[in-house]
Amino acid sequence: MTAIKAMTATAEAVRSRLEAHRYICSEQIATAVYLAYHLHKPVLIEGPPGVGKTELAKTTATMFALPLIRLQCYEGLDEAKAIYEWKYGKQLLYTQVLKETLEEVLQGAKGFAESVTRLHEFGDIFFSEEFMEPRPLLKALREKDGCVLLIDEVDKADHEFESLLLEILSDYQVSIPEIGTVKAVTEPPMVFLTSNNSRELSDALKRRCLHLYIPFPDTALEQRIIQARVPDIPPELRRQLVQFIQELRGLDLKKAPAISETIDWARTLVLLHSEALHPDLVRETLNVILKFQEDIENVQGEVHILTNKAVKG
Amino acid sequence: MDRTLANFIHALRNAEVRVSTAETLDAFSAVQLVGYRDRALLKRSLALALPKTADEKETFDACFDQFFAFREVSGSRQANGVPANAGEDAQGDGEGEGGAGGGRQDSEQQSSPASDRQGKSKRKPRTTLQGGEEAEPDLGTGEMSAPTSTLGALLMQDSKVELSLAVSAAGEAVKVRDIQIFTQKGLYTRRIMDEMGLAELNREIADLRDSAVVPERRLGQELRRRREWLREQVRDHVERQFLLHADVTGRRLREELLRKVKLSNVEHRSFRLIQEIVYRMAKRLATLHARRKKVYKKGHLHVPRTLRSNMSYDGAVFDLRWRSVKIDRPRVFAICDVSGSVANYARFMLMFLYSLEEVMPKVRSFAFSSDLAEVTELFERNRIEDAIAKTLRDYAGGSTDYGQAFADFKRLCLDEVDNRTTIIILGDARNNYGDPKAEVLKEMYERCKRLIWLNPEPRNSWQVGDAEMRRYSAYCHQAEECNSLMHLERVVGNLLKTVR
Repeated sequence: MTAIKAMTATAEAVRSRLEAHRYICSEQIATAVYLAYHLHKPVLIEGPPGVGKTELAKTTATMFALPLIRLQCYEGLDEAKAIYEWKYGKQLLYTQVLKETLEEVLQGAKGFAESVTRLHEFGDIFFSEEFMEPRPLLKALREKDGCVLLIDEVDKADHEFESLLLEILSDYQVSIPEIGTVKAVTEPPMVFLTSNNSRELSDALKRRCLHLYIPFPDTALEQRIIQARVPDIPPELRRQLVQFIQELRGLDLKKAPAISETIDWARTLVLLHSEALHPDLVRETLNVILKFQEDIENVQGEVHILTNKAVKG
Repeated sequence: MDRTLANFIHALRNAEVRVSTAETLDAFSAVQLVGYRDRALLKRSLALALPKTADEKETFDACFDQFFAFREVSGSRQANGVPANAGEDAQGDGEGEGGAGGGRQDSEQQSSPASDRQGKSKRKPRTTLQGGEEAEPDLGTGEMSAPTSTLGALLMQDSKVELSLAVSAAGEAVKVRDIQIFTQKGLYTRRIMDEMGLAELNREIADLRDSAVVPERRLGQELRRRREWLREQVRDHVERQFLLHADVTGRRLREELLRKVKLSNVEHRSFRLIQEIVYRMAKRLATLHARRKKVYKKGHLHVPRTLRSNMSYDGAVFDLRWRSVKIDRPRVFAICDVSGSVANYARFMLMFLYSLEEVMPKVRSFAFSSDLAEVTELFERNRIEDAIAKTLRDYAGGSTDYGQAFADFKRLCLDEVDNRTTIIILGDARNNYGDPKAEVLKEMYERCKRLIWLNPEPRNSWQVGDAEMRRYSAYCHQAEECNSLMHLERVVGNLLKTVR
């Protein structure tokens, strides 16, 4: 914990630590991590896909040397899959095994009412912790040294699921009807939620979080990201490539290339031993950065101009 | 409490950024953590705690720059602008001004009489002095006669505190807090100046200019200079009040108006804003009614499926299966007159109904002017705006014939109307003296659960001219006047209550 405190002494410290873990980020992002840690608030990260939302959580976990517990959200996700579930199989097996014991217990009981009373004395064994299967959220609460909790793509989950999250986000606890309230052993130092904005999240959820919007990076930042992630790339090619991508984002595309695509492209070009962009090379590798046939067709015609622009700087 | 931050949040709210109390507290703890020293860091930190959408972030950026830059400018202007010996209480003044807000109100009321008194008492000895000075008609730098007007005296006092107190007192007097839109800034600036006695000062300046005596002319020049400076101060004051109290974007005012205005009078350029309002209203209604839908969704235990799926557990029932949502026939039929006179209303009603997709049972919609046709599919395949545009393009021609339209409806889908169906008809019931075919409407009325007629015309003209509303309304469960968004919201709200 003291190590984490040292890492988050200032926003600038956070930034350089993240950078040491090859996550190059803007000051805004660093400030978010810094504030979230000190205010004990979850961070809701929004932004176009592929700008490093999930990556930020992963890197923070490595940086803090804590396990990352990740809950991937999808439509229909419910508490049975997010918080806990009873081990039905085990419960059944035990009832079978204990059948004879039960007979012993019930022996001599007169009438139905008395049998039930005796059964009650057993207690709720079948609904105790031994029969509970913890799911990611509960696991995160039980983690001894704390953990970094990532609730990924929360916008994909249903409306009701958001409400389920409120308790854990504000108080780091969950209520299980059969057992009671489970509090976090150690408060997770960082909780991240990511959203692609496929739908508007509820105000209640937003209110409990710091809100971080990660946009596409500017030229300088993207160059540094590429440098950190693909160190083998020749500097001139790096400059051209980033320039090209930045121009590309200005066009009307179904899906603009994100950082992850830039990195992929950089890796591809390094693999092809290219030193500089030229139109044919771009045309052949366009499918690395554009994921829709329509986009590729639209851009084909502009490749020449765009490449020239990028090469000239 | 940190008043500057509270004021900033107030200004943010004015600029349509929704900030809750919890978020305000977050902002306070964030500020405690990062302090005010590093402006960029402060901005980044507040940007995390206060705005919660990408749009709000943009507004926040603008607001932050405006609000905090303003403090700096006003501070420096006060430091440099006031000539010479204004130093006395500059410190305390600068601080208090940045805070603005409510506290000032009380303090100034106590002290403005005090400042008046001071002004007078100071003037007295000077006037006596003036008598002596008049004897020397010199062009020297320092000598000036004393001003006679109240405002002039105040200006020559070099006391910023009293001046700013006077400004805000005048502001109170002219109710600068009521400022609504940015075009009023000039107006309020002038009013405050007038309130402070500008007329008197102007007269004095004019008199002094014509004076033969040099010290008086010099005073005139000085007063002119200070008058301009005062004007700037007042403008700043108004600006600050505007940020704090007004509807900065002018949007709320427009929305308020749009909600009440007759939909047929809405100008084309306001459509986008209306659409947003409709969408917001719809969302509110949706959340209001969403819960009940959930209860319904759970339904009853599905015994056969439960038994089947629990077979593998030796017949012990562990995994319960529920009946899922019953698939129903569509339960709202919207029949819209889209002929010229009513088209705009139809546009907004359809917009409303389809914005409610989440909670509304499936809507089937029909459009007619003379012949009726179903447009449901158009809405399924297109975005709402496009679908509406297409509907209006394809069906809005022709003269209105309600009789024909009802007959068409009967032919198309009267069979599908049952006791769970709500029919909404939107139209002015002006049938061009054709056969109203009220008997068909009666048939619909008898089969459906509710038949609601929304008429955009005011109730008292329902029976004037070719309107058949009297005959039709006999066969309606509910006939309502509906010509503004407010009406529409109420009707649809009631609808949601009864439909489910």
